[in-house]
Amino acid sequence: MALMRRSLLQGSLGFAAGATLAAPYIANAQAKTMSAWFAQGFVEDEDIALRKAVAGYEKASGNTVELSIIPFAPQRQKIVSAITSGVVPDVTQNNPAEILPLYAWQDKWIDTEDVIETQKARFSETALKSAQAYNDVTKKRAYYGVPLRGACVPCHTWKSLVEKADMKMADRPRTWDGYFDFYKKVQDNLRKKGERKIYGLGFQITANGVDPAALFNAFMHGYGGQGIVTPEGHLNLDARIREAAIKAVEYLGGAYRDGYVPPSAINWNDADDNNAFHAKLMVMDVDGTISTEVAVKAKHPEWYFDEMVTDGLLYPTTNDGKPITCITAMLNAVIPKGARNVPVAKEFLKFMIQPEVLQDTVETGLGRNLPPMPELARTPFWENPKDPHLKGYVQQGLLGPTQPDYYVFNPAMAEVYAQHVYSKAMIAVAKKGKATDAVDAAFSEIKEIFAKYPIKQS
Amino acid sequence: MTAATVLDVGSPSAKQKRSFWRYWRGNLKGSEFTWALAFSVPYIAVFVAFVAYPVFYGLWMGRDPALYADVFSDGIYRDTVVNTLVFVVLGVNLKLFLALLLSGVFMRPGWLTKVMLMLFVLPWAVPQLPAFISLHWMLNGEWGLLNNALWILGGIEGPSWLNERWTALGAAIASHIWKWMPFWTVILLAGRMSIPQDIYDAAKVDGATGLNRFLFVTFPLLANLYLVLTLLATIFLLGDFNTVFFVTGGGPNNETHLLATLGIRNAFDLARPDLGVAVVMTALPVLIPLVIILMRKLRTAEVQL
Repeated sequence: MALMRRSLLQGSLGFAAGATLAAPYIANAQAKTMSAWFAQGFVEDEDIALRKAVAGYEKASGNTVELSIIPFAPQRQKIVSAITSGVVPDVTQNNPAEILPLYAWQDKWIDTEDVIETQKARFSETALKSAQAYNDVTKKRAYYGVPLRGACVPCHTWKSLVEKADMKMADRPRTWDGYFDFYKKVQDNLRKKGERKIYGLGFQITANGVDPAALFNAFMHGYGGQGIVTPEGHLNLDARIREAAIKAVEYLGGAYRDGYVPPSAINWNDADDNNAFHAKLMVMDVDGTISTEVAVKAKHPEWYFDEMVTDGLLYPTTNDGKPITCITAMLNAVIPKGARNVPVAKEFLKFMIQPEVLQDTVETGLGRNLPPMPELARTPFWENPKDPHLKGYVQQGLLGPTQPDYYVFNPAMAEVYAQHVYSKAMIAVAKKGKATDAVDAAFSEIKEIFAKYPIKQS
Repeated sequence: MTAATVLDVGSPSAKQKRSFWRYWRGNLKGSEFTWALAFSVPYIAVFVAFVAYPVFYGLWMGRDPALYADVFSDGIYRDTVVNTLVFVVLGVNLKLFLALLLSGVFMRPGWLTKVMLMLFVLPWAVPQLPAFISLHWMLNGEWGLLNNALWILGGIEGPSWLNERWTALGAAIASHIWKWMPFWTVILLAGRMSIPQDIYDAAKVDGATGLNRFLFVTFPLLANLYLVLTLLATIFLLGDFNTVFFVTGGGPNNETHLLATLGIRNAFDLARPDLGVAVVMTALPVLIPLVIILMRKLRTAEVQL
């Protein structure tokens, strides 16, 4: 009996050990299964759209996609952990967008040029540039991303609050300072009417999240300070850039200091400005995508169609009347080095960037994100005359003058954003510091960061 | 070399082998040893996978001395160390002292005390994330519940609680105490309930009532428990992440981070897991002695009144 029990135990242990060792072999036998991690959408329709596209690929290919839809912030942590540990999915997205150039620098992604080639002529120039990054190991710039969606930073306004201040939307100046000064006047009028807690401007003067850098960049371009990093990846802090930076820091920090921005904005996270805007506690917000609008479309269609205004088409010009090049950040799919099923991952991505699939994905997602191909902006969905937001948004972020974000040219800018260098400058002015001193301190820090990312060759 | 030594050269190795197996198998014989192994292996595997491996992986990630130069030269880190000290000293001591006092209140008989105790433990029962996110919104300077209440009730314009370093840190400490004080109160209540009534009766005969009863009977009997709880609470608090992350977000301007939240910021916002680990590792010189003292204190079994 003892012998049998011993044999049984030893046999069981042997089987367990054998099964453990054999598991990867079994997994490898299922060569047509791949894993994909995507961030959860801000509206449920985005997830529905993604699942639909993935189901379409599974049906067309017979392959299986193990899809994980993960909330935005945890997905970022999951990707960083995966890249660090080496246990990676077959496909993921650049969340945050900056990780594409950051990890390309370290040679952590698979080259995706063959995927891009299948639709290259259709992509916008900004989308194509955004998919490229500099690799410090190979000392070359190459395609490491596959553009799926884009987003720019429009201005969002409560028409009803402007009218409550006895002012008209049509009276808003079209030049940069005039446009934003208009909202200060709206606040002044609202104060006279006894509204003690509605603020004119929703500026994210905070050192949290991704919004403050996007806001600062919008103001840099508004003041003619385009090109802080050249497409070759070199830092440019010349007199024009410095002057624009001083003006941007002074306007943004000064508006806070002077009481036109909600005081809590100094410690907002990415969602706080949306919440404050939805609560009609500020007249306007400068915020990426039209999530502000689409988030309320189902519950408050009257807000979406009548009360909210997205300034994309009527985005202000520079103070001397020149159109502004908007920064369009692209959501790219990436394949980490170490992925088990690279051929299937590439096949999946080739499917995902077919125009009809991209169109269905962005349109089912209510248009919160922009398509990466200009031809997809000329559809009844984007040109719907009854929709007050979509046409302007797609004009601003896709059809009008656009460029990629600066981290695409050099990953140092990703670290500048993560260290919230711009935020520190804005906060310094908000706390009554001098704009020139704040910009000098910021530029000094930026130079230090760029010194860690030298790019010799474009 | 003597003959005896030569003879001993061969046999010790065989003896050592036998003694090793005897040591390894203990008094277990035959299948008993296999059973013991079968029961131990899962535990050892779990321990290695989820305790030993992560700890050593963390140590391995934080092995580069250059990381610590980066950490110590970071102004945010220096602020964070001060914040962590303030958070630990105030958070632990206020929480436990109040818990000690409240546990006395909840010793009183009667149904009202039971109802109050039930209500009192509610914050502890509420999940941390919604609780702290709610507090973040309640503390909003412009439209938060707290300032609105101050305005409506007294016409007072409350401050922007989360906009300045010390008010924000104070708000985080208050939130932590609110959330966790019930837990420690219940433990101290259990400690008080374990004191035999005979001791109180004897003390009463000796004239110890009221404050004297607390000072000379209750507190000495609870002192070791209180010290152990202080050490435990300090260890817990050194690793606390949720309170600051969800109440202040580490802001304004990264001025209210604790070591845990700064570690996460460095690891994931900067995509530098090694730098994040290094930040947390700097707590080890404090944490390890605390654990050793705690282990020693747990052995204390006698109290001299």
